[in-house]
Amino acid sequence: MKPSRVPFVTLVIVLVFLYLPIAFLVMNSCNTSRFASKWGGFSLRWYERLFERQDIIAALGNSLKIATAASIISMVLGTAAAFALERHRSRLQDAHRLLITVPLVLPDILMGMSLLLLFVSLGVSLNLITITVAHVTFCLSYVALVVQARLQDFDFNTVEAARDLGATKLQAFVKVTLPLLAPGILAGGLLAFTLSIDDYVITYFVKGPGSDTLPTLVYSMIKKSKDLPVINALSSLMLAATFIVVAVSQRLTRPTPIRD
Amino acid sequence: MNRRHFITTSAAALAATSLPSCNSSGKKKTLTVFTWADYLSENATAGFEKANDCTVVIDTFDSNEAMLAKLESGATGYDILVPSSYAVQALNRKSMLMPLDHSKLPNLKNVDASYLAKAADTKMEFSVPYMMAPTCLCYLESKVSNPVESWSMLDRTDLKGRVTLLDDMREVLGAALKFLGHSLNSTDPAQLAAARDVAIGWKKNIAKFENEQYKTGIASGEFFLVQGYAGDLLQASEENEDMRIFIPQEGSAFSCDDLCIPKNTTQPDLAHAFIDHLTASEVAAENMAWIGYRAPNSAAYAQLSEDFRGSPVLFPPDGIFSKCEPIADLGDKLPLWTSEWDKVKTAV
Repeated sequence: MKPSRVPFVTLVIVLVFLYLPIAFLVMNSCNTSRFASKWGGFSLRWYERLFERQDIIAALGNSLKIATAASIISMVLGTAAAFALERHRSRLQDAHRLLITVPLVLPDILMGMSLLLLFVSLGVSLNLITITVAHVTFCLSYVALVVQARLQDFDFNTVEAARDLGATKLQAFVKVTLPLLAPGILAGGLLAFTLSIDDYVITYFVKGPGSDTLPTLVYSMIKKSKDLPVINALSSLMLAATFIVVAVSQRLTRPTPIRD
Repeated sequence: MNRRHFITTSAAALAATSLPSCNSSGKKKTLTVFTWADYLSENATAGFEKANDCTVVIDTFDSNEAMLAKLESGATGYDILVPSSYAVQALNRKSMLMPLDHSKLPNLKNVDASYLAKAADTKMEFSVPYMMAPTCLCYLESKVSNPVESWSMLDRTDLKGRVTLLDDMREVLGAALKFLGHSLNSTDPAQLAAARDVAIGWKKNIAKFENEQYKTGIASGEFFLVQGYAGDLLQASEENEDMRIFIPQEGSAFSCDDLCIPKNTTQPDLAHAFIDHLTASEVAAENMAWIGYRAPNSAAYAQLSEDFRGSPVLFPPDGIFSKCEPIADLGDKLPLWTSEWDKVKTAV
C-alpha cells in the first residue's frame, strides 16, 4: 500500500500558512517602495534608517527589559501559586483559583484602566516598573496554569524518597522538584515573555513619559510617520535573532549521547 | 565549561543586565511631550535641547480618545500635549489645560491669522495651532475620465466598487454637509438628515469605509477614488505618479493638531519656551518640510521650498481655503450625529 499523501500535503499547507506572511515581511523590508503592494527595487534604506532611529531602538530595549523581568518574576510567583493550588485544597484555595484564572479572561482595556487608576491613587509615577508590574499580573496566571498542568502528573513520591534519604526540604526542592518541573516553568516563562513583549492595550495605560515600548510606538507611527517600513526591517532582524536563539537552544538542550 | 554551566551562567548574566532600571538623567531639566510618533523633527528637538540645556522626552499615543482616556484617569508627568483641535476643546471643558501666558510667547505673531479666524481657540488662550492638513479626495488619472474637483465624484456609478470613504462620522457626514453647502460642524437636524441621505447614496457606490489601507489601495491601483488625509495621500503619491489629490471645491475639513500645556505640568516655563521655539519661523519651516504637513505660520511660508509652498493641497487658493473648516467639538450635540451616522452604517 502506498503511504498516504495527506500528512505531507497538510505539512506543506501549514508551513505556507505560517511562513508565507513572514517571508513577505522580510521581502518587504528590502523594498524601496514604502508600500507593500508595489515592488520598487531592492535596497537596504529601511535598515539604514532603523539604525538612525534611536527612539525605536530604545523602545525595543524597553520591551526586552520589561518582558525579561516580567517573565522571571511571573515564573517565580506563578510556580508558587501552582504549588499552593495543587497541594492544598480548601475553600480559600477555590477563591485563589478563581483569582488566578480571572486575568486570563479579563478584557485588556479593563485591566489597563484599573491598574492606571490604582497607580494614580497610590501616587506612583508611571515608568518601566509600573509596566513590569502590570505585565506580571497577567503573565503569572499563564505560568500558574502551565505549571499546574505539569504538577498534575508529578509524582510526589520522588520528593518523599529524597526526604527519606536525608535531604532537607530545600535540598529536595532544588535537586528533585525543580529539575522535574523545569520544562513546565520554562514553557510558562516563554509564554509570559511573548505575551509581555507584544502587549499593547495594558501597556499604553500604565506607561509613563519616556517608557514607550515597541508596540505602543508602532501603533502611534501608523498615524503620521513616514518611516513606518522601518518596522519591517526591525521585525526581520528580530526574526533572525529568534531563529538563532531557537537553533542554539536546540543544540544546547539536545540530549548528550551516551558514550561507552 | 560544560553545557549546563553555560546555560545557567549566560541566563544569569542576561537577567542581571536586563532588569528594568530607573536611571534619572542627572539634574538636567526634562520636558515631556505627549504626541504622535514622528510628529516633531529631530532638528527642532535638538535645537531646543541645546538652547535650554534640557532633555526632551517624547511619549506617544495613537488616537485622541486614547490620550483623553489616559489623562482623565489621572496620568501625569506630561508638559506638552499635541491633540487634535476637537480634543483640545474636550480637555479644556474639563479644565485640564493651563491658560497660556502670551508674554512668554513672542513668536505667536507668526501664526497664520487666516487659519486662526476659523479655529476654535481664536485667541490662543489655551492652545497654539501646530500642524494642519485637509481631508482630500484622490483619484487615479488613468482610470477616471473627465474628473471634477468636487464631492460629486463620489456619486459616479462608473467607479462603483472602486471607491473608499473614511470610516469616520465627522469626515463622511462632514463631507456631505459641505457638498450641500452647509457648515462642517452643523448641528441643525434638517441639514444633518439631508447629509445622511447624501452619505447613504455615496455608500451604495463605495467598496468600503477604510481608514488605513486606502493609501496602499490607491497606490497599487486597487481603488480609483479615495477619501483620505492629505498627509497620507501626499506620501503615497510619491510612489505613484498617476495619483491626483485635490480639495473638493465645496470645501473640506482642514484639521489641525494644537500645542497645549496640561494644568498639572511641573515645567510651565519650559513648556512655554517649547511652544515659542516651535512657532519660530525657521523652526516651523524646517519642521513642516520634515513632517510633510502645513504649520499655520505665516512667517515660515516664505522659507519653504517652492515645491512645498506650491502644493495646492497644503496651500490651496484662498477661494477654497476660505470654504474649509476645522472639525469642532460637538459637545452635547454629539448624539444627534451618532444617530445619523448609525443610519448610514446600517443602510443597505
